[in-house]
This record gives sequence, structure tokens and C-alpha cells, in this order.
Amino acid sequence: MIPQAVLNEWYPVAMIALVGPRPGRQTQLLGSDIAVFLEDGQIVVQGAKGQRLAVTLRYGHVWACPGTPAHDLFPIPEADQPGRRLVDCGVVRVKCSPLRAVENFLDIAHFPFVHTDVLGAEPHTEVGRYEVQIREDSDEVWATKVHFYQPQAAKSAAGGIVTEYMYRVAAPTAAVLYKTCPNQPDAWDVIGIFVQPLTEEFCEVWPWMALFDDTTPQADLIQFQQMIFLQDRSILENQIPRLLPLDPGKEIPTQADLTSIAYRRWLKRKGLTYGAQMVAA
Amino acid sequence: MSGMWVANGLSQDLPLGVVMAGAWQGAELAIWRSASGRLSAWNDRCPHRGMRLSHGFVRGETLSCIYHGWAYGTDGACSKIPAHPAMVPPAAIKAEVYQCVEAEGVIWVAPAGSDVDLPDLSGLAAVRSVTVQAGLAEVAHALPGFVCEGAVWRGQLDGAAVALVVQDRGALVRIHALGTGDRVKVSRWLDGMMRLAEQGVLA
Repeated sequence: MIPQAVLNEWYPVAMIALVGPRPGRQTQLLGSDIAVFLEDGQIVVQGAKGQRLAVTLRYGHVWACPGTPAHDLFPIPEADQPGRRLVDCGVVRVKCSPLRAVENFLDIAHFPFVHTDVLGAEPHTEVGRYEVQIREDSDEVWATKVHFYQPQAAKSAAGGIVTEYMYRVAAPTAAVLYKTCPNQPDAWDVIGIFVQPLTEEFCEVWPWMALFDDTTPQADLIQFQQMIFLQDRSILENQIPRLLPLDPGKEIPTQADLTSIAYRRWLKRKGLTYGAQMVAA
Repeated sequence: MSGMWVANGLSQDLPLGVVMAGAWQGAELAIWRSASGRLSAWNDRCPHRGMRLSHGFVRGETLSCIYHGWAYGTDGACSKIPAHPAMVPPAAIKAEVYQCVEAEGVIWVAPAGSDVDLPDLSGLAAVRSVTVQAGLAEVAHALPGFVCEGAVWRGQLDGAAVALVVQDRGALVRIHALGTGDRVKVSRWLDGMMRLAEQGVLA
């Protein structure tokens, strides 16, 4: 049985630009078959029994709620900010819990080892103290004042810089990061990952960006993100267990993992346990 | 057979500074050799975030996890957490250590605390390991005249002793071959035996 709290959340199920007429995109959401297609100019998400799911179109993607939406889809004000380029990066299929995919996105300490010479490099491995909170007003997990040395922080970065990050868990399977923009020091680049939970152990990851970058060709931006997520996949498909353990004791965190600790606590508190392992095996 | 030794390859196939995946019964293992030659076998799971340590990298006398670079010494204890270079890792952060020894060129693994004797393969020399796409029954069928003692099958090839150390992996079988005679001859005979066993599956 899938908890009602899980069913009442929004999940990405397709890229708007790629949705066509019936049969459309045949996929899964929380273990059930769904179809995403155009009908009379409207995007429809249909369940296996023919039922229509609640739909929101936002941030280049189709979002669906299999239950009764508990709230509107989270806001990303930067998506409407003039001058930003919105980039849909396509999809990466990963054989892991959707929650593990989100947790990895929130993690910086792996940059020097998994994204070597791009997002991090030895000996610059230290993760300094940063701030984490579960914001009661928006019911989101936030990490701020995260600093990290990066050899090539973005496609538009020419050399190594210390990048500042903010991380935000906006939905159980969606997170957004804000990072120092190499082209515009007073603004943040915004990168989201929208994770579609196909099953508890299989997901599709849709990266999305809202950048101040007028020069880099679209294909290069997408290729850069795809490279990063393919490197992450080599990790995500080799974690044991595949589900994200929510009970303390199964895995050992350190201070660098404060965001992950808060994310796990937030999921547990809200009963968002789809893709989680609750009892230490 | 709670504490039995399980063969996990030949010494010649695990050079200095290399890590490989292995298994003991159902448990998945990371088996690695340090720069100085020390062998270790651990549960294939970093205690931090569950990443397979067999995907990691060896530097000197430590094995590091590929995810966050946590380094573990040959005793299994975490010696370095790169995210916190100044911190001494707590003793509780430790890989789950198995016993790992090599004898007559075979790498053997058993759970910590097991005091079962190793099979005696003295006088034999390692030839090579093969993976047979067949079950144990088909392999046994392809070894007429061989005698099974636990994981070791013993027989003769043109008057020379041959021993096959068998590692049952369910749908396939790893065989580590040793012999006293001509290594090339043993190796060719192995190819034929494999074909027989795999044909047995199809028959």
C-alpha cells in the first residue's frame, strides 16, 4: 500500500516539449502504468484504469498527482526572471530509489571523486560548515552557505573558483540548487532535478536549468549536464541497498551530510516513504 | 558449512594496488591487494552511503570508496574522510572484515572467527580461472573420474594431478584450476571441459 501522503504529491512525468498525441508517452508512476498525451491541445495524464490525474505544466515538465493534490506545485520564481535561459536537459534512467537520486543531488562531498576535475578535484575535498534547516513556512529543506572549490563549475566557467551553493528540497522527488553564476556574480544559476519515481527502485531523472548564459550552445549545456548525471548514475546503481535507509544506524553520516540527514528526517516525518527502507535489514 | 573457506580467484589475477568483486556464500565482497601486497576481503559496502567498495581505488595501504573517497586501512578501520581532512574518523566507522589468505596461488575467504582448515593443495600450481555458464550439476557431469572433496575436485590428466577449486555462483560456476603437469595442457583440457558442461545445459 502506498501511503496517501505519497499519492498527494506532484511528480514529473514528461518533458512538455516532447508530448505528442495518443498513445503518447507510456510510462510508470509509483509502480502504476500511465500515459501522457495530447488531446484537443491539452496534455492529459491517464492512469491504467482510464482515470485522469491532476496535471500541472511548469518548468518545462508535465507534473502529475495520482491522489488529491495536498498543495500547489512548489514555486521557482527564477523561472520567470527576464534574461534567464530555461534549458530542458532530457532524461537519465537510473536503477535506484528516486530518493537516492535526490540525496545524491544534495551532496557536495562526492564532487572530487565522481566529477573529478569538473565539479571538484583533490586536494580540495573539504566541506566546510554550512547551514541546514527545515523551513516550516514552505515545508522545504534548505541548505545555505555551502562553499566548494571547483575546477570547472559550469560550462561557462574558464577556470577554478570557489562556488557558493544553496540547496533546496522542494518536493519529495524534486530538488533545486542555486550556485554562483560565473557570468553574473550578483545572480545565481538555478539547476533542478525532477525525479520521476517509476517504482521504488527505478527512476527517471530530468535535469532542468535556468541560467544567465547567452553564449554557450544549447547542445553543449545539455551535454555537460548529461555527463554529470551519467557519472552520478555509476554511483547510484551501485549503492546497497537500492532503497534509501531512513532509520539511523544503517549508514553513517558526518557533518558534510547535514542536508542528507535533514532530507531523510523530513521524508520520515511526512510519511514520504516510497523508495525508502524503514526497518534496518 | 557456516565458516567454510570459499575460493575467490587466483593470486596471479589480483595484482598489487587492485580491487575486485568477490563473494562468500550470498555476501558480496570487495577483495583487494595493497601496494605492499597485503590481501583483504570486506563486505562490498562502504558504511557511509552503502556504495560498493569494489568500485573503489587502492592507494598504498588503503582502499578508498569511489563515492566520497573515505579511505580504509587493511584492518578495515576508516583512516580518512576527505570532506573533513582534520578529523580523526571515529573507530565505529569500519568495513566488515573477512579472513582472506592465499595458498598455492589461490585466494580464499572465510568469515572472521572461522577456524576451519584450508583445503590442502600442496604440490599443485595455479593454472587459470574460468567462468562456466552452467550449474554445479553440469560441471560435475563434465568431470568423469574426478572426486569431490568439498569445494575441491581432484583427478588426473595424463598421469599428472589436477585440482579444480569450484566457486558456485548460482547460474554460473567459477573454477580455479591447479595442476602438477604441463600448464598449457591443463588449460586446453579446461576449455573442453567447459564446452561439455555448457552443452550439458543446452541438452
